[in-house]
Amino acid sequence: MAQNGFTRTFKPLEILTEEQVEAIHRGTLEVLWVTGVRMEHERALQLFEKNGCKVDYDETRVRIPPGLVEESLRHCPSSFHAQARDPRKSLMVGGNTLCLAVAPGQQTVEMDTWEPRAATRKENYDGVAILDALPTVHFFSPYTPYFGFEGVPSCMAMLESLAARIRNSTKFQCVGFSNNSEIFAIRMAQAAGIEILGTCAWAPPLAVYRDAIESAFRFAEAGLPLRIISGQVMGGTAPATIAGGIVTNNAEVLAGLVLAQLIRPGTRVLVKDFNATMNMNTGAPAFGGIESCLHNAASNQIFRRYGVPIDNSTAYPNSKMMDYQSSYEKAFRIFSAALSGASTLLFHGSVHGELTHHPIQAILDDDIAGMVGRFLQGITVNDETLAIDLIEEVGPIPGHFLNKPHTRKWWKLEQFIPKAADRLTYPEWMNTGKKGCLDYARDRMEDILATHKPTPLTPSQEEDIERILEEARSYYKERGLIPDDEMATYRNSMKSPNYPYE
Amino acid sequence: MSVEIIENLKKAILEYDSEAAANWARKAVQEKVDPNEALRAMTEAIREIGNGFGTGELFLPDLVGAADAMSAATPIIDEEIARVGAKRESLGSAVIGTVYGDIHTIGKTMVATLLTAEGFTVEDLGINVTAEQFVEGVRKYEPDILAMSALMTMTAPEQRKIIETLKNQGLRDKVKIMVGGGAITQEFADSIGADGYDPTAPGAAKLARKLVAK
Repeated sequence: MAQNGFTRTFKPLEILTEEQVEAIHRGTLEVLWVTGVRMEHERALQLFEKNGCKVDYDETRVRIPPGLVEESLRHCPSSFHAQARDPRKSLMVGGNTLCLAVAPGQQTVEMDTWEPRAATRKENYDGVAILDALPTVHFFSPYTPYFGFEGVPSCMAMLESLAARIRNSTKFQCVGFSNNSEIFAIRMAQAAGIEILGTCAWAPPLAVYRDAIESAFRFAEAGLPLRIISGQVMGGTAPATIAGGIVTNNAEVLAGLVLAQLIRPGTRVLVKDFNATMNMNTGAPAFGGIESCLHNAASNQIFRRYGVPIDNSTAYPNSKMMDYQSSYEKAFRIFSAALSGASTLLFHGSVHGELTHHPIQAILDDDIAGMVGRFLQGITVNDETLAIDLIEEVGPIPGHFLNKPHTRKWWKLEQFIPKAADRLTYPEWMNTGKKGCLDYARDRMEDILATHKPTPLTPSQEEDIERILEEARSYYKERGLIPDDEMATYRNSMKSPNYPYE
Repeated sequence: MSVEIIENLKKAILEYDSEAAANWARKAVQEKVDPNEALRAMTEAIREIGNGFGTGELFLPDLVGAADAMSAATPIIDEEIARVGAKRESLGSAVIGTVYGDIHTIGKTMVATLLTAEGFTVEDLGINVTAEQFVEGVRKYEPDILAMSALMTMTAPEQRKIIETLKNQGLRDKVKIMVGGGAITQEFADSIGADGYDPTAPGAAKLARKLVAK
């Protein structure tokens, strides 16, 4: 299977009419100009004002004219190259390619009780190695597999996560931002000779805070690509209607896109459609809802018109277990995203929302992803695949196809074989211990851990990464973000002879 | 007349009608209705909504709608209580907010609403509230309960900082502290010396009742 994404060979699903697309576009432009957005950042406000926007400094409100939005869309590349540590794993994001990424979890789960708990350093590093080995993982999203791990103070979680991914994977990497962590993240990327995708995260409805804008400036000014995220919950932080939700999400990510293009025209942008409905019983996001698929499909159609790559966020299940609910929640999301033309999707490994991740889940997801990739490949239709001559040669029964060279050549090209699925007959299944997909996935995990050795950094790169981490530790310690007791626990957790891997 | 006003005030809240709630509150003041009686009717209405929410018959938009209607009427009644020099009837008072660096509002608002439904007087400091603002809130309102929310792992340590600041200023023992939010666990709550934690909003409201009864 391709390392660099799946290429769709047929027309994407279009669920909106031309008129509906136009109505959403016009609605978005109206919101940006009449309502405007809140941006708590003096330098950004000045930049918008200089470029013809109405700025209210007291309310930190920017109103963006339609002309500037459309001009910024023209500056934004419709596809872009993203440099991985292994050049063969670099990506071309956009067009009719779908690239899949790791989905994060705050913690891991115990598979006998399904209860969450903090991952260990070894579990985090092994988790990265497993994801490095999975062919359908095309890149890593921020703080994957885990938000942090045992012993790590929360202010260091982002950077420890990036260090683990740079060390144990040669795939393309993405980072978030927190307390200026992006300064150190950019330096780590430079030390490893890679590009990283930065993040500017909005706070719906229609607001973006200082840290997110700082991150946008830092990545755009460094010439790095930028992910612009919002993250609405329909009914809470966006209208309860899908159309209204699309309008506010569009306004938020387009305002971010305009900012990126004003900072540095031509900045590579990946906008994100991260949405969920609200569970009106609890207020929590109802991850796994089919409405999110509709929201994604419509947004994909709109951004295809804009000519900007779009991420469909995350196929987070709401189930707590790797079970039937989890499978359909994930499968609906990835399949509708793939059919409607998403450029990227965070997929592998999330067990429940963004709260838990597990490598066995990632291995199960590798099979779903492989099936979707196979679907996108479509059907090859030519003389050889139509096989009219062969059908004539074989004729009716007792003829058959099993002994034909055509079959030997083509079956492997046509079939995707899931690695953790149970495809046995009843007798075979009963005679081999009644194994299910979770057992096969565990076997595959153990096999990967025993055989897959991620390409290490060079000694000087390794030295640089550790030095930058150490500088970040001092930086946060000096700012009072790592109390003495936490620092002692942290230092203690680094004493293994196999540091940093366990 | 007074019975009719009280009934209409209650009805306005049950129908999520902020404008009507404020109008009937003003009417209650004009007609010299006992302000504590008006407040009791309002609390009864919000409790009814809270119970419906608890049993799954009503949903979050109903709860928040009723809370908004109550908030529209409360200051008018409070002003009257102060004017006549009466004592405000309340189970206790609470100051609530989402910690600095965190702008998640919904969970915090749910807890604030359910605390009101339990009979607390609630001061909502909003989102992105600094340690200094929390301390100032405790000093100014002298609440029985301080409730802090943090949804993100990155912002959870703020809760520790706030408790430390209260200790340093000699205010820690004057208030019961509750913590909550997606990033918080019982273990974390214990480690920072909070008095209570609950993973759900209805649970948090019940916890507050328990804490003031101690």
